[in-house]
Amino acid sequence: MKNKLFSLASLLLMAGALVFLSGCDKDDPEPENIPEVITKVELTFSAVGAADIVVTATDPDGEGPQEYALSGPVNLVKNTNYGLSVDLINEFQPLTSTERFITLEVLEEADEHLFFYGWTGNLFSDPAGNGNIDNRADVVNYLDEDDGGLPLGILTDWTTANATATGTLRIVLKHQPGIKSATSTANDGESDLDVTFNVNVN
Amino acid sequence: MIFYLCNPVAKSVRYLFTLAFGFSSLLSLAQNARCTLTLSGVVYDNENQPLAGATVVVLPNGPGTTTNNRGRFELKNFCEGSYQIEVRFVGFGSYRQEIRLGQNTQLTVSLEPDETALQEVVVEDHAPHVEATSTFNRLSGHELQETMGKPLGEALRQLAGVNTIQTGPAIFKPVIHGLHSNRVLILNNGIRQEGQNWGTEHAPEVDPFIASNLVVIKDAAAIKYGSDALGGVVLVNPAELPRDPGLGGQLHLIGASNNGSLITSGFVEGGSKKWKGLGWRAQGSIKKAGDSRAQEYVLSNTGFEEQSFSLAAAYHKANRGIDVFVSHFNTNIGILRGSATSNAEDLANAMEREPPQQTMPFTYDIKPPRQDVQHTLFKLNAHQTAGKNDYRLQYGFQLNVRSEFDQRRGSLVEIPALGFRLFTHTLDLEWQRQHHARFQSNWGINVMHQVNEKIDGTQTIPFIPNFTHNAIGLFALEKFTLTHWTVEAGLRADLRNYDVAGFDFQNQLYRSEIHFQNISGTVSAQRIVGKRGSFTSSLSSAWRPANLAELYSIGTHQSAAAIEYGLLLDEETTQVVPFENSGVKPEQALKWVSGFTYTGNRLTIDVAAYLNYIRHFIYLRPRGVTNSLRGVYPYFRYTQTNATFAGADLSVGYKLSERWSMDGKLSYLRARDVEENDFLIFIPANRADISIRYESGKKGVVSWYAESGVRWIAMQTRAPRVITPRQLIDATAQGIDLIAQDDSNFDFMAAPAGVQLLHAQVGVTWQLKNAKLEARLAGENLTNESYREYTNRMRYYANETGRNFILGLHFSF
Repeated sequence: MKNKLFSLASLLLMAGALVFLSGCDKDDPEPENIPEVITKVELTFSAVGAADIVVTATDPDGEGPQEYALSGPVNLVKNTNYGLSVDLINEFQPLTSTERFITLEVLEEADEHLFFYGWTGNLFSDPAGNGNIDNRADVVNYLDEDDGGLPLGILTDWTTANATATGTLRIVLKHQPGIKSATSTANDGESDLDVTFNVNVN
Repeated sequence: MIFYLCNPVAKSVRYLFTLAFGFSSLLSLAQNARCTLTLSGVVYDNENQPLAGATVVVLPNGPGTTTNNRGRFELKNFCEGSYQIEVRFVGFGSYRQEIRLGQNTQLTVSLEPDETALQEVVVEDHAPHVEATSTFNRLSGHELQETMGKPLGEALRQLAGVNTIQTGPAIFKPVIHGLHSNRVLILNNGIRQEGQNWGTEHAPEVDPFIASNLVVIKDAAAIKYGSDALGGVVLVNPAELPRDPGLGGQLHLIGASNNGSLITSGFVEGGSKKWKGLGWRAQGSIKKAGDSRAQEYVLSNTGFEEQSFSLAAAYHKANRGIDVFVSHFNTNIGILRGSATSNAEDLANAMEREPPQQTMPFTYDIKPPRQDVQHTLFKLNAHQTAGKNDYRLQYGFQLNVRSEFDQRRGSLVEIPALGFRLFTHTLDLEWQRQHHARFQSNWGINVMHQVNEKIDGTQTIPFIPNFTHNAIGLFALEKFTLTHWTVEAGLRADLRNYDVAGFDFQNQLYRSEIHFQNISGTVSAQRIVGKRGSFTSSLSSAWRPANLAELYSIGTHQSAAAIEYGLLLDEETTQVVPFENSGVKPEQALKWVSGFTYTGNRLTIDVAAYLNYIRHFIYLRPRGVTNSLRGVYPYFRYTQTNATFAGADLSVGYKLSERWSMDGKLSYLRARDVEENDFLIFIPANRADISIRYESGKKGVVSWYAESGVRWIAMQTRAPRVITPRQLIDATAQGIDLIAQDDSNFDFMAAPAGVQLLHAQVGVTWQLKNAKLEARLAGENLTNESYREYTNRMRYYANETGRNFILGLHFSF
């Protein structure tokens, strides 16, 4: 009886010891898919009878400290009507993966997302002004909408000014789950994208 | 037995086990020494009437017995040696005496009635492992009861020198002398609490209802408990298990008005009639709270729910015993919805907006961002007293599962953005030897084996890597007791090894091995002054290896709007560099604490002053601003510097009369980065508490008390400069990097103004024949102040909670 207590304790400790030392496997952990990262933004300006104008902003280090890089300025022709489409790409995903194309996800969740556009330098005659980042009521010509009839902004329509101009075009994508409305602003929700391009109108 | 050995530490672990089994055979041998002495006696009350049913127990771990109806008791099978005897009975002050047994001994004890004991439910205190020469504070009795239902960190804030770092109204981490997270060690029922402890939003996974007292040790080298305790140690001590036949229990029901919380907790305990010395307890708590409310608005998504239970059993014979403890803790905590921000622009918007974005009507629903945490603990402890020797063997297993859910696109919202499972095994062997009355040795070994693995499928780059961690520590503590002096000296050696596998910012696998070794020491002394006073002073060193978040973290934190980079990430390439080439050193602290306590009839004073110098102190230093495709982000790198934390704690109690008493507390702290000559961020502001209390004394079966007090929280004037996110963005737009220009510490928002908070409470106790019922009504922030607290990370977004009324019913039998 005297030693039973400690025999029991020793036994349990031995059992513990087995567990203790069995945990040293050297298997590598499985890498995760990282579908939310945007490493590349591609803008395509299309005009009737002209080649598409494509510019990109890339940030290959994702959360790394390196700044994103622009492929160059957007050179538009004055007094021309352009359709603009925005493509968000996750280059960490394989070419065949649908998760590479974040624009598709935004489209699926159109009722929670809204692209805002803001520009400087009187680049456009239509929409005139400086865009809806500072004031939601300002005009941006959205060509798409969500199921509720609210704009989305993957596709937009632009007419350049009738004079040479230089400025910037800033595009902000807001995630506004539950709060997207006809009046929700660029200050509402969380930012999924906030990128600025240089634009020349010649 | 064949073990698969992966590294040198595992080898030493095996060696230790051999040692451990040898050790237990040794114990069996020791038992054969002749232990035939008997201690017997009589217990009387203050009117010299024999007291039946009084408990007589040998501290700290038994054996024990109760007096018969003639007040007599008898304890057998003692070996020669010194024993600490305690005699106690409900309603009487307990009697403690050190007795030297060389022959059969008779004892006569008279107990004095304890006026205060009957006024509130007081669970028997049981605080093992606190050395006389330590500077410590304890929360127990009515003070502990008045914190019932609050998280551990918030409860500990009642003690001078302890603050909290908060993430909203439900997540509290204790801060001891300005240090928190990995620099504070929590011993939950004797086991070193191991969870994901690196973030300020990671609260300790402990239900304070299991404790009968909470102890905060403020010396740095609480050498027995292991490394890391640069700030101090928190002991969560459950009450002793019953040793005598019978059944007892408690039930608590607590409701609060501010967040509509309902908390119920209770336990049943008993001792076996058949198996003398066998005691058990089953305990459980359920908590549910909705959104908290600031003065003017609801703090949306700050509710929480928590379920926990524990089972304990112990079997004690004359000089040995074994106990088993199992607990499970499960919580789901919401984080203020309006704090979910992405880039600096979002942060600027959130800071300029009040009430916060997405403020909704009150609800109990909890949505992302939220945390889901489970913690399971198993503990087995065996102890044995043989003559002058005391042996203790303890095994602990912990499983901590943490999932953090964020606002994510699409179906990802259902998937945790961060998820880890942490398995921890600990083995502690301890040997205490009372060489003679004045000289005591305490030697021990602590072994730890830990595995951290990410929960697969989070679809994010894991914030910290997977790792296997093995640690071994050896300590020796020698204590000399002279007439007025107690002197203690200790030494500890530690060896730690991490095998790491994680993913860098390009989602590429890296592997590394890290080794740490260190020696720390302590010297402390206590001087008894007169009959009521004592001085303590200690000088101790402590160390802490950089944790895995500090080494490898990459990315944005829940609601921090900043990118963090670990110490091992190259400044240029952000690639992981090998530990050997990094120049990273463990933190080294040298802490001096001196205290004085005085316990008079009317006046009690507890004052302590400290100076903690930390070499290679690790903190997040702002380094620059980056323009990512998601917008402008400030980024921070973990950096090492030298820092000092100096301050003083004061607690004073004064009995104005039989019925009236006053109580005051003061916590004062100055912290500084001495290398960069800069202030540190999130250092708790100075504060003071004063309260006055009336106790009715016992009138028949009813007694009552009333208390009111004020808490002052000063403005933190020793805070870094301010750069608002708006300033950062505007400067960045003009091509200026404000942080790269001057990389001294900064805060996004100025420290909030000081505040006075008024609280009050009344309580009534009905002492029934075999049971006690207490009702308590308390009001907090009675003037409904609108304020923010410097050490609450939610202060960027919202005010603190407003007025709160708490109604508690406590029943014990």
